[in-house]
Amino acid sequence: MRISSLTIALVLACALARPSVVQAHAILMESQPAANAAVAPGAIALSLRFNSRIDAERSRVTLIGPRAQASDTRAGAEAILPIIAAGSGEIIVATATLAPGFYLLRWQVLAVDGHITRGETRFSVTPGK
Amino acid sequence: MTLLVDLFGYLAIIIHGLTIVAQSMAVGGVVFLACLARPRAWLLGSAGEAILSDTIRWTRIGALGLAVAEAARLGLDGAVLVGTLGITPLDVLGANFAEAGLAKLIAALLLTLTVGISRPRLALALQVLPALAILAAATLTTHAAARVDNREILLVASFLHQAGAAIWIGGIPCFVAALARVTHRAEWLVIGERFSALSMIGVACIAASAGTLWWFYIGDVAGLYGTAYGVMTSTKAALFLGLLGLGYGNFRAVRRLRADPDAPVTRLKRFAEVEIGIGFTLFFAAASLTSVPPAVDLGADRVSLTEIAERNMPRMPRLESPDHDNLTLPALQARLDAEAAAGAAKPAQAFTPGSGEIPARNAEDIAWSEYNHHWAGLFVVAIGLLALLNRAGIGPARHWPLLFLGLAGFLFVRSDPEAWPLGQIGFFESLRDVEVLQHRFFVLLIVIFGLFEWRVRATGWKNAGAALVFPLITAIGGAALLTHSHAIANIKDQLLIELTHTPLALAGIAAGWARWLEIRLDGCGQRIAGWVWPACFVLVGLILLIYREA
Repeated sequence: MRISSLTIALVLACALARPSVVQAHAILMESQPAANAAVAPGAIALSLRFNSRIDAERSRVTLIGPRAQASDTRAGAEAILPIIAAGSGEIIVATATLAPGFYLLRWQVLAVDGHITRGETRFSVTPGK
Repeated sequence: MTLLVDLFGYLAIIIHGLTIVAQSMAVGGVVFLACLARPRAWLLGSAGEAILSDTIRWTRIGALGLAVAEAARLGLDGAVLVGTLGITPLDVLGANFAEAGLAKLIAALLLTLTVGISRPRLALALQVLPALAILAAATLTTHAAARVDNREILLVASFLHQAGAAIWIGGIPCFVAALARVTHRAEWLVIGERFSALSMIGVACIAASAGTLWWFYIGDVAGLYGTAYGVMTSTKAALFLGLLGLGYGNFRAVRRLRADPDAPVTRLKRFAEVEIGIGFTLFFAAASLTSVPPAVDLGADRVSLTEIAERNMPRMPRLESPDHDNLTLPALQARLDAEAAAGAAKPAQAFTPGSGEIPARNAEDIAWSEYNHHWAGLFVVAIGLLALLNRAGIGPARHWPLLFLGLAGFLFVRSDPEAWPLGQIGFFESLRDVEVLQHRFFVLLIVIFGLFEWRVRATGWKNAGAALVFPLITAIGGAALLTHSHAIANIKDQLLIELTHTPLALAGIAAGWARWLEIRLDGCGQRIAGWVWPACFVLVGLILLIYREA
């Protein structure tokens, strides 16, 4: 059998390559609150705008917090928020009543063309904002 | 289950690539059947029936493959949605992509049953309509379906793009099978001229739609080199140009055949074989492209020409290794061990294999990786040069495959510093990590390939069929590199690494098919191809030598 060394080179290149990462198809273009922004406590509309139209029924937004510090990695309270589609389908909106603290908003969305993407954004709730 | 979302990306690209290949073969087969095999059968004598039968078989294989790939794709996506959202499989089937996938699956199954029908009206209804349904459903799972603006024009362009690819590339397996059935010049001409015309229609569809897609998805030149989407599009364009070159070669071969009855026809067949290979590679690049966001959506964090030039500026290779103890994971493990010892407790593990977490990297980790690439590059350049010397007739150089054993040993020790033999994680425990498992598998392959190749060189073992394994595996290796990894929202470092991997992949693909031509062609073409593939090998080594991660 005649198997060239180049095959090995390519295998080698694969072997040396860095690990693959999550394929990102639907990307977050804008969020409210913005990433790392501070907002006032109370009823807050959380909105995420993507570059693709989203299937809101098959997407999920999870709010984690409040946490005492932004760097606190303990799980904290975790709530799945009901979401609705807005705009031309590229925006998903959820509402929540929030106490002061640091929050993590995790999202997993299904784009209309069938790609699943997930990500997260952080913000804080501060009295007086 | 969230881990599954992370890991399934690569598998999804592979399945999507197979879907495009099968879809193109099915639709291309229907076009070949309707425009060549049936209407021209009477001109092809006894070969006409055989060609008809071959075309039906290839089309059926494509349609069946499409049904299987689509079912796998629906199953994979559905499993992730059910697992992460807690919805039922029935809920998944209500999604747009699932409806389109089901439509494609049903149309493909229908085609497998009806492709043999020869009555013209029935054939139109039960072959051409399912083929159109397959293309329409496929269009609904492209970027265009999810776009907020210009959706309609992008849907039309995407439909045309896929139709062109199916007419041209998807029809080549039937073309090659048909050429194998005929022996007379007149029959070669009948097949060659009609398929040339079909190919030109396919190329026109691809070129026109590619321009539209480029305009709306990339927008400017900076998007072409500064984003993952643009880089992959450029790669597709390079493969497309290669295909055009081969297609033009075949076009000229047909014209020569018309003027000179004694003109050789072998090249026509061999070039068409290579077109299949490069065309299918292009389909995997296209599959990879669907999983990254269009360049126009990424305004920030694009890579500039200056950054690309700076990263790829040749520097002296890093031939001295950083200290293993200074790498992120060994250093963290040492700290955890010390803390545990102070508290008389069992130390925690710095890294859990199989957790799916990508550990942080420090400057020493980057230096470690670059050192590995550079030494591997030296090995590969040395192997390539010795292979060239061997090609030039220098006998002792034939033992170059033995260098593979040294390379395999080097990679076994160095590729995963956190695992045995250098790290604290045991050999079998480390295999729970997908990346480590891949590395160990590749090392095993290198050992096997090295020993096989050395046996070929040392004993002169000849086996014509087995010789084709090399170009095929090399081409698959190149395609795998093209689909390997892409940036999340355009992280610059990821893209800069990808920019190095792309020429590696293209050099590999060129070498694989050059070797194929060396085996399958004769005369001058064979001699040229015989020098090209070892030269590409040297090029791969040189690219590895200038590889940098920072």
